[in-house]
Amino acid sequence: MTKYHLNLAHLYGDLLNTYSDVGNIIALRYYAKQMDADIAVKVVSIDEEFNPDEFDIALFGGGQDYEQLVVSKDLPNKKAGIEKFINDGKPLLAICGGYQLLGHYYVGANGEKIPGLGVLDHYTLSQDHNRFIGDITIKNEETGQEYHGFENHNGKTYLGKGERPLGKVVSGHGNNGEDGSEGAIYKNVYCSYFHGPILTRNGEIAKKILLAALHHKYPAADFSQAEALEIKPTF
Amino acid sequence: MSLKSSFAEFAGRSSYWFLHTFMHGGSSLPGKITLKLDPDILQSFAKKYDLVIVTGTNGKTLTTALSVRVLREKYSDVLTNPTGSNMKQGIVTTFITAPKPKQKGLAVLEVDEANVAIVTSYITPVAFVFTNIFRDQMDRYGEIYTTYEKILKGVRMAPKATIIANGDEQLFNTQNLPNPVIYYGFNHEHHDDLRAPANTDGLLCPKCQHILHYHLITYAGLGDYFCPHCGFKRPKLDYAVTKLGKLTPTSSTFELDGQEYRIEIGGLYNIYNALAAYALGRFLGVSQSQIKHAFESDERVFGRQEEINIDGKKTTLILVKNPVGLNQVLDMIETDPEPFSFVFLLNANYADGIDTSWIWDGDFEKLTQHDIKQYMTGGERYKDITTRLTMAGVDKIWKEPELASVLTKIKDLPTDHVYVLASYTAVLQLRKLLAEKGYIKGGMD
Repeated sequence: MTKYHLNLAHLYGDLLNTYSDVGNIIALRYYAKQMDADIAVKVVSIDEEFNPDEFDIALFGGGQDYEQLVVSKDLPNKKAGIEKFINDGKPLLAICGGYQLLGHYYVGANGEKIPGLGVLDHYTLSQDHNRFIGDITIKNEETGQEYHGFENHNGKTYLGKGERPLGKVVSGHGNNGEDGSEGAIYKNVYCSYFHGPILTRNGEIAKKILLAALHHKYPAADFSQAEALEIKPTF
Repeated sequence: MSLKSSFAEFAGRSSYWFLHTFMHGGSSLPGKITLKLDPDILQSFAKKYDLVIVTGTNGKTLTTALSVRVLREKYSDVLTNPTGSNMKQGIVTTFITAPKPKQKGLAVLEVDEANVAIVTSYITPVAFVFTNIFRDQMDRYGEIYTTYEKILKGVRMAPKATIIANGDEQLFNTQNLPNPVIYYGFNHEHHDDLRAPANTDGLLCPKCQHILHYHLITYAGLGDYFCPHCGFKRPKLDYAVTKLGKLTPTSSTFELDGQEYRIEIGGLYNIYNALAAYALGRFLGVSQSQIKHAFESDERVFGRQEEINIDGKKTTLILVKNPVGLNQVLDMIETDPEPFSFVFLLNANYADGIDTSWIWDGDFEKLTQHDIKQYMTGGERYKDITTRLTMAGVDKIWKEPELASVLTKIKDLPTDHVYVLASYTAVLQLRKLLAEKGYIKGGMD
């Protein structure tokens, strides 16, 4: 039996799972085990209620245009819940489509403007006949950690108030190919265009997310061992 | 045939002969030369052959191979393209290097999803065979809906051609096409109400965008689907598997239209391929007993798996390229009653898909339920696959980035059975090594 138990909400996990987003759950469980914690996963999909108090971690993955459009129509029902979850300081990982949908809007493949949740202050435009595809390396300026991944996106995202990038692009394109930023951090929300299983190669981000969740749920517990956990590169 | 076409065909034929005689290979360059000399060369072949196009994400190669075998029971001239040459140039090479048919022949060609429209703009097929649409190397193909749209672009140029489609694939039931359609699928069990696992593609009802439910799921999102919200459901099947028999890694038995059949290849997904070949055979007038004979004739069908003896180790080499295919292969090797070792070779070149994240959708966790004596990883991206296996709970992995050492180490594996799953260029590289060392004959069509 593990000592700690976390509940993870996989937002629209049955619709936004196109880029092997499930890898993030596998990685979280793998590192959680090393912190003496286990994770129960629940998919929260369209027409279902999202109760923020039920969960300690949330995952918001990427999908195809068609599914994203369907999700965008359901999002207003979950807005209050997601907003509360974020403001409570609970960790949320948002990848690609999920990242875009947390912002004000994104422009779809056919040029239509699709509203997002507007809980984060970024917005996303689209490119004509171009995608940012390939291996990418970024550096987080606060920790000096390097993150490795693969990007494949048509969207160009511009960060807004209160957001700082997940990292500075070392090689690759990042948020928009212009300002050298990749992803976003806001409170304990981590956003990225790294597809999709970002945590499998970047265990340090998994560690941050897990620690945030554990500290939130067990404020009195001592997690110094988990904090000292050393994560070797897997790439 | 015009003088220009004849000359182009001659040039292509000569280069093919040269490449095959002296260079041991080359199925795309002769087509390239021919096309350069006469870009419309395909048109001249339309007069000589009736054409069937086999397309879809998984199963093209085996469906084509089985279809050819079935149709040869009735037709004397059946032309087909070699494994992997399913783009325009390879298809042209296939035509120019074939012996000239005495009467109008039949060509059954595997065609890459993005090349269907290119072929049908020159030749109007008599039939299309659709296997399935799954996400596959998304850095190249894009999303499943755009892949299907690419195929439809070709279909719209041939509104009279009969479509022989997998009825269990809901994407094939989303368009109103003027073409006659024949559906095949599975009807071997019935449940009141099933839901696909969350991590499945294409779960939405195309009519009302609610989550689809099922009476039967074969694998991934395939099965007898229905929408409890708007009534959208699987079309009536013309040909159906009504019972499953014994399934092993090397053979499957099943009942189809009341008759039992056996194919000499494992994997539930290959029964779909046999079913597609059966439906095409019936459409073109091949009898049930002829099809049974074709399926059960001894010769092994070369699909995307082959068995190689490496110093006494029965080694099965299987190409894997996308999550659905990978999961089907994992299901299949689980049916092996003997203990086995598991090798995974991962590259990330253009032909493999440069994004390796698809391995995370493979259900490697289930391997830990089995008594697998040894794991080995290799290839240029061996670290990615090692991490995947480690996080699945595997702790004893031999890591061999160089394929030459993988080959040497196979001899040291503790079991007689070895499964080697490999991405496309890793298969090519390993086969080349195996040929150099004399384990197999050289070349790869």
